[in-house]
Parts: sequence; structure tokens; C-alpha cells
Amino acid sequence: MAIIVNLDVMMAKRKMSLNELSEKVNLSLSNLSILKTGKAKAIRFSTLEAICEALDCQPGELLEFSKD
Amino acid sequence: MMSNTNNLIFKGLHIVAWVIFVGLCIEAGGLIVNFFYSLYEPEFVQNLYQNLDLTEMYKQSKWAFFNVYSFLIVISILKAYLFYILLRLMHKMDLLKPFNMYVSRQISLMSYYTLSIGLLSYLGRQVAISLTHQGYVIDNLNHFWADSQAFIVMGAVLYIIATIFKKGVEIQNENDLTV
Repeated sequence: MAIIVNLDVMMAKRKMSLNELSEKVNLSLSNLSILKTGKAKAIRFSTLEAICEALDCQPGELLEFSKD
Repeated sequence: MMSNTNNLIFKGLHIVAWVIFVGLCIEAGGLIVNFFYSLYEPEFVQNLYQNLDLTEMYKQSKWAFFNVYSFLIVISILKAYLFYILLRLMHKMDLLKPFNMYVSRQISLMSYYTLSIGLLSYLGRQVAISLTHQGYVIDNLNHFWADSQAFIVMGAVLYIIATIFKKGVEIQNENDLTV
């Protein structure tokens, strides 16, 4: 996929586990896992906002565009 | 959440489908057994399945007899198999989460088989009409392909439903992968 989600990178920088993030953003572990492994087809703005709030980062730090 | 009425209707339809399937299996089985029996005992042709008497046709032309009878057998087998697919679908389908590839494939399959039955029935009817013009008496076979147009219409409708269902599955999959 052309959009890469750097969720694991940000989580490592903030030293946050998937469980902690899941509780903070009120998203299930399976959905977070879908996002983390790059299988997600779309992300809601509300979810992006919640993750950025929890990880104290910008959307641009989480999402990256790569030409295949 | 499905209402009790919907549940009851679905169960009723399931029972009706089973009854029709058993009837179609008996018809197909009867026609096949009669066919092989008539190969070895030609006098049996006057007393085929459902008291069908094709003695005159058999005497005039064995080719015409086997040609017409083949149509009957293939159409009856296809009808039985169509209901088998329907029963399999009803047995495995979860009405709370119906949008999956399996259900989509089964509906597509049903549309292909229904269209095939309709087209074969129509072809059989045309063959029977041409035989009538050649002097054969085949009025007793009309009920085997009287519903050809209905099957063609049903096949077309099922195909449209299958296409819409496939789109529904795609939308559901995309929704499942939206976080």
C-alpha cells in the first residue's frame, strides 16, 4: 500500500504499549493491530485525532506516503 | 437482531425448500432409472415416470426419443442441484452477518444454474415443437418445459441480486478495515 502507518515507530518513541494505546484511544486491540500492520483501508479523522492526542504527535509523523 | 416473524418465515422456507428438493430428487432419479431401463426393456417406454407414454415417439425414431428424454433428464438434474445449492446456503448462512464471499458466490451460482435451466427448457420446447411439425405426438411433455420463461426471468433477477450482493460484500469488507 502507498500510505505507510508508522504507529509502531511512534509507540516506541513514546514508550507506549499497544494495550495502553488501546485504552487511551478507546479502540479495540484488533483494530489497532489492523492499523499497525498496514491492513487498514481507511482511518476516521476521529481515530487519527485520538491517536495523535495519545501519542502527542502530528498526523504527518504517523502517516507517510511512499510511491511503490 | 432478527424478529421472531422473520425467523419463522425463514424456517418455513427452509422446510418448503427441503420438500421441493426431495420431490425433484425423486423426479430426477425416476427419469434416470426409467431411461436406463428403457435401453434394455423397450416395452417399458409405455410406462415411464409419472405414467409417461412415449411408445409412439420411440417407434417412429429412437434418436428423437433419446434426444427429448436427455433434455428431460438434464433439466430435472439441474433443478435438483439448484435446490441443493439453496439448501446448502440456507444451512450455512448467518442472517445476522449475511454479507460474505460464500453467500455471494452461492447466489451467483444459483443465478447461473437458473439461467441454464431456463435456456435448456426453452431449447427443449423448441425441439419438441419442431418434432411436432414432423408428426410426433409430444403433448404429454409440455409440463416439463412450460416454465422456461419463468426460470430465465428468475435467473436474470438472481444475477442482478448477486451483483448487488457482491458490492455489499466489498463495502462491508472496506467497513471492517476502517478504524
